[in-house]
Amino acid sequence: MKGWMRAVSLLSIIAVTVALALGTASGGLGYVLPFPGVRDLAYWFLFTALNPSTPLFTVMSPEAVTSIVWDYRGLDTLFETTVFFLAIIGSMALMRGIEVVKKVEERTYQIGMSPIVKTVTRISVAAILAVAASIALHGHLTPGGGFQGGAAAAVAPLLLIVVFSVYFAVGSHINKKNMLTIRTIGLLGVGLTAFAVLIIGVIHGVGAYVFQNQPKATAPIGLPADLFGSLTSGTLILFNFFEFLAVAAGFTIVFLLLSVPERRVMEILEGGEKDEH
Amino acid sequence: MISQETLIYAVMGLLGIISLVAVYMAITEKDLVKAVLYSAIQSTAYAFLFYLLMAPDIVLVYVPVAVGLYPAVILFLIKKSERFEGEST
Amino acid sequence: MSIDVNVFLFSLMIYTIIMNIGISLYAIFQRPNIIKKIIALTILGDSANVLAIIVGYRAWPSPNRAPIPPVLTNLHPTGEDIQMFTQVAVDPLPQALVLTAVVIGLAVTVFLVFLALQLYRLYGTLDVRKITKLRG
Repeated sequence: MKGWMRAVSLLSIIAVTVALALGTASGGLGYVLPFPGVRDLAYWFLFTALNPSTPLFTVMSPEAVTSIVWDYRGLDTLFETTVFFLAIIGSMALMRGIEVVKKVEERTYQIGMSPIVKTVTRISVAAILAVAASIALHGHLTPGGGFQGGAAAAVAPLLLIVVFSVYFAVGSHINKKNMLTIRTIGLLGVGLTAFAVLIIGVIHGVGAYVFQNQPKATAPIGLPADLFGSLTSGTLILFNFFEFLAVAAGFTIVFLLLSVPERRVMEILEGGEKDEH
Repeated sequence: MISQETLIYAVMGLLGIISLVAVYMAITEKDLVKAVLYSAIQSTAYAFLFYLLMAPDIVLVYVPVAVGLYPAVILFLIKKSERFEGEST
Repeated sequence: MSIDVNVFLFSLMIYTIIMNIGISLYAIFQRPNIIKKIIALTILGDSANVLAIIVGYRAWPSPNRAPIPPVLTNLHPTGEDIQMFTQVAVDPLPQALVLTAVVIGLAVTVFLVFLALQLYRLYGTLDVRKITKLRG
């Protein structure tokens, strides 16, 4: 009885959608087709992203979206990184004290999945890490960047935890403390790069801004735009690298917290109660 | 013959209808593992739609996040709690 | 009444995304299981992001020449290369804003999953109606 009721209501929803689209297409609402030009703000961003003839406004990066994310609107990305950091810290505070202890086990080759799955995973984890690093480090030349590379690189520790077991992962130094260290290095790198041009300006006695990339009209100092002939776009490549480290380590902490077995969690939660009484 | 513009718009319309069907099946399904799989089908349709709308940066974010990380985290949660939804109203 | 096929197909896609928003909003109110609410919340956020990117699209310059993504392929462009680029490329600003929105949605969802796990450990059920009856 429930099967055909679902199919009938699905078909009626599709029929309503097609009828609305037909009504719009035969002259219902003014004009719906996309507009033939871009807005003035978009024209400005596209015109000055890589333009040596306006050296006071350009970013020297052929990729317009990454230059908006890290240069034109860098403060938005700073606060987005802060929100992500607060979510990870909140989750860690909820699960305080719940951890997996490394077992002393002689037959570690027998836990986890079958040998076929383990062999394929060994090859794919190396491939995934290489592709993710390439996406992150070429973020100023092709589509990509720090967050894309970090999310793709977070799939590799997930595969290790699921295929080999979580005891193997903790035993080979992918534990919460090391990942927290890597994440802190990444966030400190992002913060230092934001202040880098300001520090260089203070040392040379010239005024500079926070989050500055190339020389501007009233602050004539900046990071070099290319290095031995290949384009590095100043601070963009450093931002991408540190964001990649921070995001990959953050997701690994989430998976390590989620993969503790329930029996062990109940032991820890009840053991604490007994100690207090 | 039909022009290239009409062909691309037709593929966009087809992807919209596939995502509508997948969202409806995900919401009215009692088995939560199947609901997560329908949601992953909808995310794949959206990723192809982002590519046709000329946004390659968003495709590179969306495919690991919505097809890889959301189903993984929600499947961990389902494994540690119940798999079937209770009696609804 | 003549029907323009291009306008029909494009507006069909826009209306299916709006229907997705409507269905997932209904599911957040009506379904009592917390995991179903979390799945519907992710669908709602993703559909809103697709609408934002549709706003940044532009019409085709001629029926056989598509617009290009906002990435320059020439590392040493001349003045008229850049002019041609601004006539054909789509808007890059909505894409940067959607990037931020995806990351924030992901952070909120991860935190909600941990809260739901703690709720199950304390109350033993994930049904919202039964939890309001228990009350501590």
